[in-house]
Amino acid sequence: MANTLGTSASAGFSAASTPEAQALYRRRRRGNGILLSLSVVATLFGLLWLVLILAALLYKGVSGLSVAVFTEMTPPPGSAGGLLNAIWGSLLMTVGGVLIGTPIGILAGTYMSEYGRGRKLTTVVRFINDILLAAPSIVIGLFVYEVMVVQMGHFSAWAGCVALAILVIPVVVRTTEDMLNLVPNQLREAAAALGLPRSIMIRHVAYKAAMSGIVTGVLLAIARVSGETAPLLFTALNNQFWSSDMNSPMSSLPVTIFQFALSPYQDWQSLAWTGALLITFTVLALNIVARAFLSPKAQK
Amino acid sequence: MNQLAMNTTGLAEKVSIRNLKFFYGDTQALKTINLPLFEKKVTAFIGPSGCGKSTLLRVLNRMYDLYPRQRAEGEVLFDGKNVLDPDQDRNMLRARIGMVFQKPTPFPMSIYDNIAFGIRLYESLSRSEMDGRVEAALTRAALWNEVKDKLNSSGLSLSGGQQQRLCIARTIAVRPEVVLFDEPCSALDPISTAKIEELIDELTTDYTIAIVTHNMQQAARVSDYTAFMYLGELIEFDETAKIFTSPSDKRTQDYITGRFG
Amino acid sequence: MVDAAMTGVTSAGMDSARLKRMRRFRTGDATFRGLTFGAALTVLLLLGGVILSLVHGSLPALSEFGFGFLTSQSWNPVTEKFGALSPIYGTIVTSFIALLIAVPVGIGIAIFLTELCPPWLKRPIGVAVELLAGIPSIIYGIWGLFVFAPFFQTNVQPFLISLFAPIPVLNNLFAGPPYGIGILTAGFILAIMVLPFITSITRDVFDTVPPVLKEATYGLGCTTSEVVTKVVLPYTRVGVIGGVMLGLGRALGETMAVTFVIGNAHKISASIMAPGTTISASIANEFTEAVGDLYTSSLIALGLILFIITFIVLAGARLLLLRMNVKAGN
Repeated sequence: MANTLGTSASAGFSAASTPEAQALYRRRRRGNGILLSLSVVATLFGLLWLVLILAALLYKGVSGLSVAVFTEMTPPPGSAGGLLNAIWGSLLMTVGGVLIGTPIGILAGTYMSEYGRGRKLTTVVRFINDILLAAPSIVIGLFVYEVMVVQMGHFSAWAGCVALAILVIPVVVRTTEDMLNLVPNQLREAAAALGLPRSIMIRHVAYKAAMSGIVTGVLLAIARVSGETAPLLFTALNNQFWSSDMNSPMSSLPVTIFQFALSPYQDWQSLAWTGALLITFTVLALNIVARAFLSPKAQK
Repeated sequence: MNQLAMNTTGLAEKVSIRNLKFFYGDTQALKTINLPLFEKKVTAFIGPSGCGKSTLLRVLNRMYDLYPRQRAEGEVLFDGKNVLDPDQDRNMLRARIGMVFQKPTPFPMSIYDNIAFGIRLYESLSRSEMDGRVEAALTRAALWNEVKDKLNSSGLSLSGGQQQRLCIARTIAVRPEVVLFDEPCSALDPISTAKIEELIDELTTDYTIAIVTHNMQQAARVSDYTAFMYLGELIEFDETAKIFTSPSDKRTQDYITGRFG
Repeated sequence: MVDAAMTGVTSAGMDSARLKRMRRFRTGDATFRGLTFGAALTVLLLLGGVILSLVHGSLPALSEFGFGFLTSQSWNPVTEKFGALSPIYGTIVTSFIALLIAVPVGIGIAIFLTELCPPWLKRPIGVAVELLAGIPSIIYGIWGLFVFAPFFQTNVQPFLISLFAPIPVLNNLFAGPPYGIGILTAGFILAIMVLPFITSITRDVFDTVPPVLKEATYGLGCTTSEVVTKVVLPYTRVGVIGGVMLGLGRALGETMAVTFVIGNAHKISASIMAPGTTISASIANEFTEAVGDLYTSSLIALGLILFIITFIVLAGARLLLLRMNVKAGN
């Protein structure tokens, strides 16, 4: 092999086959190898954490998993119990937050894509929405504390719902706008050509065409808020007992985990791990289902 | 323009285009167009790409209204009333002037609902009346036999030619008076094209039809009148036979003989 | 008559039922449009509301301490003397450490995914990265406190301390004792948390490089690493910086993960192994227990500062990404 290369070098046809060029090329190949190996290492390093975290959750959480977790209330320190009231509270407030936030998000996204496309207002709303999307959730908690808890004079599950809704809105706005923008204009024209009023076109044609994407957005929003702790800390607070009263403090899984994990009691810590396991797998399952919902076309 | 030389006795002008100008922002796309669409006749619009023929079609049902910065000047009289008036209800107008597009555009719903959807907007019908209307529209569009056993499957499951006939059925189901075809066959194979042409021919018993086409044989086959447009101007409008046998403008002659375009 | 003139339709096909329907459509259209417009405005009002309420809530503290609030290190609920310096310091240092780790790793993963990864593996790794982003922050917190910190304390910190002991400056930065929890640990956990954000944005902007450009470079005989460093990275520089800033925005505002592992000490230490606090951790820990208006108001003022910092960072990130999109022609 080296021989053939040598011959062609002496023939002088190609600058790339001189000995210097080959040495240079070997060095370049080495550089290439190093960078690519580093990228593989980076990938393994990144994935390692996912594995480690899931493994720890399974290891520490599964042992505490029992029927009692789903049937009994959060216990006082030193006695056995479950997480029923926390699970129930999380469920209520997540559903509440999604029910409040989703319509607002879908409508706002609809305005941006259907009525205000190319308008200044749309650009501004998109910009602000993207900032809300990544804004610290604890600040949202402070905001709701100021406008609801202080005004009402007490912590309440409603305040928790509103805080979660504010986190739902930007996610849904974003996906709704993106998905409606993917609906071809031809479809809108075809609907208009039949004499369909704009609003009916949007609700019966555009929404149908963008459905899977919007559902994905809502599922991702649910996944996001169901693990949120910070915005609930001083809105819904916590409650050791079963409560469905939206006007009073309510327990939630994340806040309970926060309280129990930082406590010195063994039982509480173990329940916190079990709760963490439940939340994580719920959230991950929602993430996977959400992605499965998305049609391959929209994934690009 | 030898419009006057044409024998128009016994013909009613369903749509009269008068001094129509059209602008995309600051760019003028149509320059003072004057043209009739005769009732229950097929009028074809031919001309090289970008000559304004599709633009003209989209003025007739005010489709351009969907986009900002597009505007029309002049008059388009439809049964004597100017559709360009700002107070013209666009939805009602479009229900009366239907349109079929270049690419088939079935809605993301069942075949049945694709048809029934438009009807429900303007009429409250019983289930059996609706079934009858859907069947009639599909029959009229020569699609009934192919889809009668799968009315509940998605409109998107049909072939391209079938989808286009579904769109035609959907359009005539709302009982328009005028149907605009914007290059309806350009995305279809020859067999589907032949079916659609046949269909357009049959539709003239009830509808006034305007068709934009790139295909001159198609214009010659399906139309009664032909308008040749070039660079936003109407160069010549006459009976189709006249345009294709002895056009009076040099540019028309050059275009139909394939010297440019 | 008025109706007929108004609708502009006079043909026989217009019966009164159609007219009625049409009028209903008009109101329906206007109502729906109004609703969507209102919802879009709500998004703007939310941001305005957040700023206004935070300013309102922090007024007592800001008028009491003035500019000194930003420069004072004291945080004493008993004497009611509050200063934001140590939480601000902790917030910035932990985020900085997080980026120092997450940026090279994130870019590395993005390079792997766009240039090296066999197609069948792309989706699973992509999903895994998204899952890492989906894990709630409280899980990072509990895992960090009970699993990572003890490991860090016994295996990594002693090593770092002895490694840097002979080197001036660095020996102060990595001074013992190894607590396990502290600024460095918090920074490390944050790095894992922002990694997926940086990775997915970097990958997305890498995908905007026109294939012809890459093909032309390969066509010159360039290696993959040369294509990446000479073409892909320069072409996407603005977007990558945008992605990094987005990650920074996340790191600055992250609450629960940090609260668990930072140690919650209102002081600034020379060593990054010492406990500290961040803005969000202080609020999460102390807000419900804060007694007295001044204490509460000081915590809200912390929130305001955090919001302003993240707003600037996130707005900058968005502007950079917007520029990137314009370049890519979308």
